[in-house]
Amino acid sequence: MTRDIAAARIMPSGADWSATAQRWRVPLLTVALAALPWIVPSQALAVNILIFGLYATGFNLLFGFAGMLSFGHAAFFGAGAYGAGIALARYGVGWFGAIAIGVAVAGVLALLIGALSIRSRGIYFSMVTLALAQLVYYVAFQATDWTGGENGLRGLTVSVIHIGPLALNFLDPVTKYYVILVFVVAALYAISRLLNAPFGAAMEAVRENESRAAAIGYDVKRIKLIAFTLSGLVCGLAGTLDALHLSIVPIDTLFYQTSGLAVMMVLLGGSGTFLGPFVGAAIFLLIEDVFSIWTPHWQLFVGIVFILAVLFLPRGVWGTLAAWHKRRSA
Amino acid sequence: MTGPVLVAEHIGKRFGGFTALDDVSVSFEAGQLTAIIGPNGAGKSTFFSLLSGAVAPTSGRIRFEGADVAGQPHHRFTRMGIARSYQITSLFPQLTAHENVRLACQAIHASARGGLWRDRAHYPGLAEEADSTLALVGLLARRGRPAASLAHGEQRALEIAVALASRPKLLLLDEPTAGMSPEETKEMMDLIARLASERTVLLVEHKMKMVMGLADRIVVLHQGKLLAAGTPDAIRTDADVRRVYLGEGRSGRG
Amino acid sequence: MTLDLIVAQLFTGVALGAVFVLLSTGLSVIFGMLGVVNFAHGAFYMTGAYAGVFVLALTGNFWIALVAVPVLIGVMGLGVERFLIRPLYGRGQDYPLLLTFGLGYVLIEVVRILFGTDGMPFETPPLLSGGLDIEGLGYFPAYRLFVIAMTAALMLGLWILLERTRYGLIIRGAARDPEILSVLGVDTRKVFLLVFGLGTGLAALAGLLAAPMRSVNPEMGVAVLIEAFVVTVIGGMGSLLGGAVAGMLVGIVVSMTALWMPEMSEISMFALMALVLLVRPHGLFGRGALAR
Repeated sequence: MTRDIAAARIMPSGADWSATAQRWRVPLLTVALAALPWIVPSQALAVNILIFGLYATGFNLLFGFAGMLSFGHAAFFGAGAYGAGIALARYGVGWFGAIAIGVAVAGVLALLIGALSIRSRGIYFSMVTLALAQLVYYVAFQATDWTGGENGLRGLTVSVIHIGPLALNFLDPVTKYYVILVFVVAALYAISRLLNAPFGAAMEAVRENESRAAAIGYDVKRIKLIAFTLSGLVCGLAGTLDALHLSIVPIDTLFYQTSGLAVMMVLLGGSGTFLGPFVGAAIFLLIEDVFSIWTPHWQLFVGIVFILAVLFLPRGVWGTLAAWHKRRSA
Repeated sequence: MTGPVLVAEHIGKRFGGFTALDDVSVSFEAGQLTAIIGPNGAGKSTFFSLLSGAVAPTSGRIRFEGADVAGQPHHRFTRMGIARSYQITSLFPQLTAHENVRLACQAIHASARGGLWRDRAHYPGLAEEADSTLALVGLLARRGRPAASLAHGEQRALEIAVALASRPKLLLLDEPTAGMSPEETKEMMDLIARLASERTVLLVEHKMKMVMGLADRIVVLHQGKLLAAGTPDAIRTDADVRRVYLGEGRSGRG
Repeated sequence: MTLDLIVAQLFTGVALGAVFVLLSTGLSVIFGMLGVVNFAHGAFYMTGAYAGVFVLALTGNFWIALVAVPVLIGVMGLGVERFLIRPLYGRGQDYPLLLTFGLGYVLIEVVRILFGTDGMPFETPPLLSGGLDIEGLGYFPAYRLFVIAMTAALMLGLWILLERTRYGLIIRGAARDPEILSVLGVDTRKVFLLVFGLGTGLAALAGLLAAPMRSVNPEMGVAVLIEAFVVTVIGGMGSLLGGAVAGMLVGIVVSMTALWMPEMSEISMFALMALVLLVRPHGLFGRGALAR
């Protein structure tokens, strides 16, 4: 029997390429993102791909790996943004503390919304997350003293960032980009670890077959709640970075469309893949960037591209490429 | 004889107004292979789901190694040492055969189960354990293939391997030979005989001949109630069993 | 707080509830039969209101619009089912959902291109512009009475269709087990097609009926979609009775909250939903199996 195992081990398999890709995915993505401002048409576009790529990655953690289609992730993106923004604008907290507070607020909110919504499954779960996120939106809309209501939250400009003896000019777009990149890469590294760890495997088990996952000894509710909360934390971090980047928090950050944004980006790029969300974010934002120059109705094109992707490219652009490569090398 | 591993005490299950199982008491001795038989709709599947913890009974108690476990969540049953296979293959289709089994190994190790940081490949023993389980059911050469791409017989074998990987003291097999060719059925029977030599096994099966040759003990259910329990010989000659089950279609006009 | 104010607000709530009932019924029949959560439902509602604007501009007659709009948008729904949703059956529930989500995006943008991004006025039809004055109770606008009566009649008709006719038998059968129907020789594809058309037609009618009461703009469907989801979650997915009860409940709760705490009126329905979810995760009339 032992010899049998050894023989199977040395047999070449298609897993080689994907194992290598898995080991190098964070460094590769880091290099690509570091070069991004010099490739895409504008600095603003690069920052957006960075931030929304992270946001989509956080959403993908839940949808792509645990199989839970949330339509309420705007709540966590927004909670991060408002949490950091309120800490900065109303309480004079430093920039780093503000980020920590924003992420924490998003995490607590995700724990609450998660606990309520994982009681339902499938499409019911999608509707419940959407409705609860909308509740958060209306609460923020009414709590004008804290959030600025309809006008959004203002007055949180961070102009200089102090790291030890270093003082970085955060108003300089390039400096700002690389400061944000540090946070994004740190988050990506943590997510990559998580996906390779036993918990990542357990999430996939829940996605593939919930009742069997329970039958082999997994506490499915617990896995779902943890996955939901971690996903909320990542999206919260993306939100805090967006607040720092924009220096304001528009009320729309919390709206249904922001939730839909994550869904569209992940689907376009490839759900359940590590790089897909960034590819999807880049495609979406590029379409916006190019088409909004000559028509205010650029969303029409995004919608059509999305419909075509659902019909003909359900694995997304990156997912299709990866599957194609895997087939060829297998 | 070391005494019963699992004892069902007056267990019953109602779905709304329908009673699927009514006041069934059976005890299962350690080391034995018990087969559960009965005509369609006798309550075999319900009984099985209750014993495996997938569904909680509406009445009665289930004692596993002395403790009442009825109503505990499914994953607790598995961690205590009760694992099941499914009549309709229930795997993780997109994951490899190896990963299917490795997941089950991982789930019963508290230190590995929920790890958030360390790479899953670095947990000692899990991958080896998974591979040796695959070897046991003859699937090692297929370890890198996604479960969905395996042949039907191979999926049935993987189904058993996933249940085995939980290292159960009590293994519940739900019609393991469903949809198998005679050749595959023979192989599966040999495998079950081997498994039963090392642990307590409970088997739901339609194929009477197979059951009679294999089981130490047979439990017969009929219309949600316990009809008889005993050795294959005793069951063969039991008047009630002959009437409702074995004699079905033959005795009527006699 | 006088009695007639409370009665008036209660009445407004019932009229609002009627629109919710129509919306969630359309959502519910589509889900019940096809297993599809229609994220474009709000967009069909909005398109219904704009189709009303268009037909009214063409004919100047509200009653023609009342018939033409559900038919027009219903036919559009047939096309959507046939060419966009049908290819996705068998690929899991997420894909039709995502497709309708994208479709909602496109419909909003198309309407913006055709009718502009600003809102549009929608006059109450002259015949219904008056009201009923009941001494001691208050004043009841005729149009709202009409909306309530219309919804009640439609729900009754739908109930008869589903429970008392052969078609209803087929539809309910298709919801339970599509395979049995194909064995019996019923074309389930045709059933799915017609049911989707029916659902979108109902959404369009809801949009048209709501137009004189709420404002007409390209975004009107977004908030309504979420409201319809809330109603469906409260009532229980796939339950017609649940949708009707929850629709009324939400309408009344929202307008009564507006009376005492106007800033909380939008929040109240979500609070209600969270409460229901805590007590009954599958909704008031929902069956567990459907939530899967």
